Amino acid sequence: MHRALLPGLASMILLAGPATAADAPPGASSCTGCHAPKKVADSVIPHIAGRKAADIVTFMREYRSGAWPSSVMGRIAKGFDDAQTEAIAAWFAAQPE
Amino acid sequence: MATRRHFLKLTAAAGLAPAVVSAQGKARVVVIGGGFGGATAARTVKALQPALDVTLVEPNPVYTSCPFSNSVLADLREIGQQQFRYDGIKGSGVTVAETSATAVDADAKTVTLADGNKLSYDRLVMSPGIDFNWGAIPGYDEAAAQKMPHAWKAGAQTVLLRRQLQAMDDGGLVVMSAPANPFRCPPGPYERASLIAYWLAIWKPKSKLLLLDSKDAFSKQRLFQNGWAELYPGMIEWVPLSQGGKVTSVDPATLTLTTEFATHKASVANVIPPQRAGAIAAQAGVADRTGWCPVEPVAFESTLQPGIHVLGDAAIMGGMPKSAFAANAQAKVCAAALVKLLAGEKPQDPIVINTCYSLLAADYGISIAGVYRPDKGQLTDVPGAGGVSPLVAVGGLRGQEALYASSWFRTITAETFG
Ligand SMILES: Cc1cc2nc3c(=O)[nH]c(=O)nc-3n(C[C@H](O)[C@H](O)[C@H](O)COP(=O)(O)OP(=O)(O)OC[C@H]3O[C@@H](n4cnc5c(N)ncnc54)[C@H](O)[C@@H]3O)c2cc1C
Repeated sequence: MHRALLPGLASMILLAGPATAADAPPGASSCTGCHAPKKVADSVIPHIAGRKAADIVTFMREYRSGAWPSSVMGRIAKGFDDAQTEAIAAWFAAQPE
Repeated sequence: MATRRHFLKLTAAAGLAPAVVSAQGKARVVVIGGGFGGATAARTVKALQPALDVTLVEPNPVYTSCPFSNSVLADLREIGQQQFRYDGIKGSGVTVAETSATAVDADAKTVTLADGNKLSYDRLVMSPGIDFNWGAIPGYDEAAAQKMPHAWKAGAQTVLLRRQLQAMDDGGLVVMSAPANPFRCPPGPYERASLIAYWLAIWKPKSKLLLLDSKDAFSKQRLFQNGWAELYPGMIEWVPLSQGGKVTSVDPATLTLTTEFATHKASVANVIPPQRAGAIAAQAGVADRTGWCPVEPVAFESTLQPGIHVLGDAAIMGGMPKSAFAANAQAKVCAAALVKLLAGEKPQDPIVINTCYSLLAADYGISIAGVYRPDKGQLTDVPGAGGVSPLVAVGGLRGQEALYASSWFRTITAETFG
């Protein structure tokens, strides 16, 4: 299942290109309230900038379905459909780690 | 790839041309208020489009954060850990005018400052937070707040309330009064009651806390009430509106709070009064009869005054609560939209998230989250998303959420103040 995601995501990333931050997809800018763009000392919240898009999408899907237990992420992931989630994942993947 | 990148750079530059150079030179963005909304907006606009001239107007050299200020009352933090300076924002290329805005002229597009200067703007962002409706509770005015602190703007008021709690005898009665909706931080009064009880249970265990409420329901209610029963049995009594919770007058000289049903004499009284948008909003003509500011849901531009965007607690944001998380998230959406508008482009419809943690004890956290998008002219909950922590916690969830809460605080203050 993870492998099947990859082709779609690869083309997404190309389309998104070196997007300017102004072009962050809807929802992406809210994430950095918890997921710091630069690493913050002493945070137990995972750093997502520069992570593989496919991994972010997988986590979001599993949070959404409840397959992967979570505190707030399940409730947040339910607000995004597949296309929106993929766009956000591609955008974070393209950010410097 | 190289040519593609080059091409995108060119088109971006072409698209942004009108923003960078207007007839008078650089386009100017002025931001009023250096809190979670305004400080984030100023630095995000500058980061997205460094060619813009961005000025942040804020009178205080140090910002004192309300989030986590309830932990100061419980001796879990020092007030200094709540304080942030504007050096990071200055370093990012934003001009900081250390004075307050005294008048906005929406037609002339100017902001008059207390230091006598006048700023012209192409777009104005206002995030002035709240002011109190002094007198809405007869007897409760600015002088009364020195006896019965609100501590709803953090700083000296927080320290005063903490001192009063420390001076109270064991066996004393702490009385809190919470306002009707809407107000800053819907779960805030209940987090405060929890953390005061946490501290009382350790230091003054014979004391009680009475929470007089002008509402019959509140944010994360069952989670709070279950937590109180579990952690502080018998210590907190919540009186809803229908049982006489609404405070109809106070007497600061005797620390008395009167409701429709009874009179309560407090050892320490914390009155959280009814609120409205920061006073400059009404002066600018962006507040309506409710005292709050109506905005459209894409760039948060005022529906009363074009060219002025209102964010954070001051604004009417549909289903979104008045929180620091929300103000910061709205500011980033607004900044991206402003950059587009100044470039003559159309901003995209946003999705905005809110997440608020509350502590019931040092290691006991709960949360509420929501996802919002524009619908019928206002920000509306995305159906099926959002909600509160589960009523039954498994696997150390409450402890984990307390850790997430403090991580969130470190992250958002770093993003806002640098
Ligand atoms: C006890 C308590 C606990 C809270 N806990 C949380 C929490 O855990 N999580 C959360 O998300 N939120 C929390 N909040 C809510 C949060 O504090 C507010 O929602 C947030 O501060 C709103 O940001 P803002 O930018 O709208 O206003 P503010 O942060 O209040 O900023 C407004 C700024 O504008 C300035 N200003 C006002 N008028 C002028 C003028 N005329 N000229 C220039 N500057 C001006 C002020 O000096 C101030 O610095 C809490 C609030 C309280 C009271």
